[in-house]
Amino acid sequence: MKASNKLSAAAKSEARWGWAFIAPTMLGLFVLNFYPAINTVYQSFCKTGDFGRGNTFVGLANYAAAFSAGETWHSIWNTIKYALIEVPFGVCIALVLAVFLNKKLKGTSVYRTIFFLPMVCAPAAVAMVWKWLYNQQFGLLNNIFHSNVAWISDPHIAWISIGVIGVWSVIGYNMVLFISGLQEIPGDYYEASSIDGATGIRQFFHITVPLLSPTTFFIVQTRVIGALTVFDLMFMVIDKTNIALQNTQSIVYLFYTYAFTNGNKGYGATLVVILVAFIMLVTVIMQQAEKKLVYHA
Amino acid sequence: MKKIVATLLAMTMLLGLTACGGSQGSGSTGSAGTGSGASSGSSSGTLTVNIWDSNQQAGLQQIADEWSKTSGVTAKIEVVDWDNYWTLLEAGASGGTMPDVFWTHSNTVQLYMDNDVLLKLNDYIDKDDAIDLDNYYEGIVKLYTRADGNVYALPKDHDTIALLYNKAIFDKYGVEYPTADWTWEDMYEAAKAITESSNGEVYGMAMNVSNNQDSWYNIVYDYGACIINDTHDGTTIGSAEGKAAMEMARKLLSVGAPQSVVAETGTESLFKSEKCAMIMQGSWMINSYYTAEHHDDYYWSLIPYADVNGNGQCDSGERYSAYNGLGWAASAATKNPDAAYSLISYFCSKEGQLEQAKLGVTMGGMKGISEEFANAFPGMDVSAFVDIEDYDLFFRPYTRKTTIWEDALQQTGGFLDAWQDPSDPALMEKACDNAQTIIENAIAAE
Repeated sequence: MKASNKLSAAAKSEARWGWAFIAPTMLGLFVLNFYPAINTVYQSFCKTGDFGRGNTFVGLANYAAAFSAGETWHSIWNTIKYALIEVPFGVCIALVLAVFLNKKLKGTSVYRTIFFLPMVCAPAAVAMVWKWLYNQQFGLLNNIFHSNVAWISDPHIAWISIGVIGVWSVIGYNMVLFISGLQEIPGDYYEASSIDGATGIRQFFHITVPLLSPTTFFIVQTRVIGALTVFDLMFMVIDKTNIALQNTQSIVYLFYTYAFTNGNKGYGATLVVILVAFIMLVTVIMQQAEKKLVYHA
Repeated sequence: MKKIVATLLAMTMLLGLTACGGSQGSGSTGSAGTGSGASSGSSSGTLTVNIWDSNQQAGLQQIADEWSKTSGVTAKIEVVDWDNYWTLLEAGASGGTMPDVFWTHSNTVQLYMDNDVLLKLNDYIDKDDAIDLDNYYEGIVKLYTRADGNVYALPKDHDTIALLYNKAIFDKYGVEYPTADWTWEDMYEAAKAITESSNGEVYGMAMNVSNNQDSWYNIVYDYGACIINDTHDGTTIGSAEGKAAMEMARKLLSVGAPQSVVAETGTESLFKSEKCAMIMQGSWMINSYYTAEHHDDYYWSLIPYADVNGNGQCDSGERYSAYNGLGWAASAATKNPDAAYSLISYFCSKEGQLEQAKLGVTMGGMKGISEEFANAFPGMDVSAFVDIEDYDLFFRPYTRKTTIWEDALQQTGGFLDAWQDPSDPALMEKACDNAQTIIENAIAAE
């Protein structure tokens, strides 16, 4: 290979084409992502005027208000509770399903499709269907179990009910990732271990789990971020009049209430910036944990 | 692993692209839609009209079509549901793409009036023979007039509250039907009898406390207290009268459907599925019950009163119904202000108002045409909504930022604990004190 600082004509043309190809995406990123993001941070330091007019700079006042408000902490805690259900259960169930569906059996593709279907459905539609399943008066759940449980309006239960919907929606996606991870594990390990007399369960814990840990880590990390930004489930399932709202509303829901229902964009922006900082913190901690927990073959 | 990451990255990029494309696409069609609506308004003539109640769309479109015959301008009425309506309108006001003509509501209109995003109507009204502001309900006219005298909307309608009950359920449990002489205590006794004799299968009554206008607000005024005073700078919810009223509300709730049930199913569904015997409803809901499956069993009765002085009859100030009125407003940025005002004027003229009442869309914003409305539902007696006008009406309480304290009242630190557990009078009393503070603080922060 020749080492040259100057680009050949062909390379130049290639570079130009490269820029041309990414230009639409870049433009989209700048207009729809970077500019709003910067503007959000700026607004979080402002008392925003009606209809986006007349923002006045107020320094850290919004932050002081947000940190001293009980509901901010409450909704962060609600979000964490949701993540504590969705991530572990979503990952574990998906892993077990993936292991089964990775076997060469009849009809695996049918099952894979079935488990992946929730991913294809619109989240709002999923939430609406679950809302009716959970309905205390006419819901299918109470009908089947002959119970009278207020699944989504008892503050002590509602957060679990919401978490269940989250798990259900995400299993298929996690499962597909796990299956592709499983297919990268060489079959030799299983062959060798079964000659040595290892059972299926031992193989699972001593071969599958460690060798799959990079995939698992990737899923956990993306799902944690996904779970911390959850909004649509609470918004669709828990009505504004629901007494369980305060025990289920996520931080993004709170942001929505302030920014769009109450028209207080500055305070809403503050909540979002706090959430972003929190997610960054969690991500850094997880990146540190990766070095210790993930097995790199 | 790398493969997965690569594929995922590619997927997210793709998603990002499609998402961008999607939002750009919808954005441009959206603006093109309103843009063409506004710009072609001057040439070929189309007005975009936004409302939030699909029950009224057909009737209003019919009236608008009649207007189109004389004006030559087409008006296209589009329905956006309540929650999204306000998000859309606010975004429209910020970005300058509001619909040409649209409804306003007491919850939010102050904000729009203060920021000059609505078309000022004074000059048009002065020149218009069809409109005389004295013919409309004062509270509604006052609501849409800014402190400096600018008028930003014309009264579209007014509404009142009545008690709706299911005769079949009353028959089944042998309870006397509601009458015009009912006090809130009578309603409580009847609800209690039904709830108890059905072992909780059927609720005697249901009240969605977040629908304050058709429920507990009325009780508060009956007992001599108010949510927001006439000068819009205070409340008496924490007074002895306020507490007595809320104690009555608490008792009703304690024999009605729990709020957990109401939050999930809604009073309308509960009533229509015969799970509850009585609900309070606003006149804008009549059509929904008139066309319901079991409408033969449904009857309207005058809203109960509070016999505060204990003389056994309803005196002045003991029976109130909340009333509210929507307004027809136009965007200050509309390309065709003359056509926009002309449409508003037609909707609010005597002709348009009578048509609206006859079609059973709503009662008028103009006084004296409610009789037409009462006749719009053959086979169903809706006179309770008209008769209440012989008693007292109070305008739906509002301040500059109504939703802020309205929402705060529903949450922890407001009435939430009392709504959740209506068996404890102490909780309700404490909630009244909290409510007093919440409203006062909210007004101070406006």
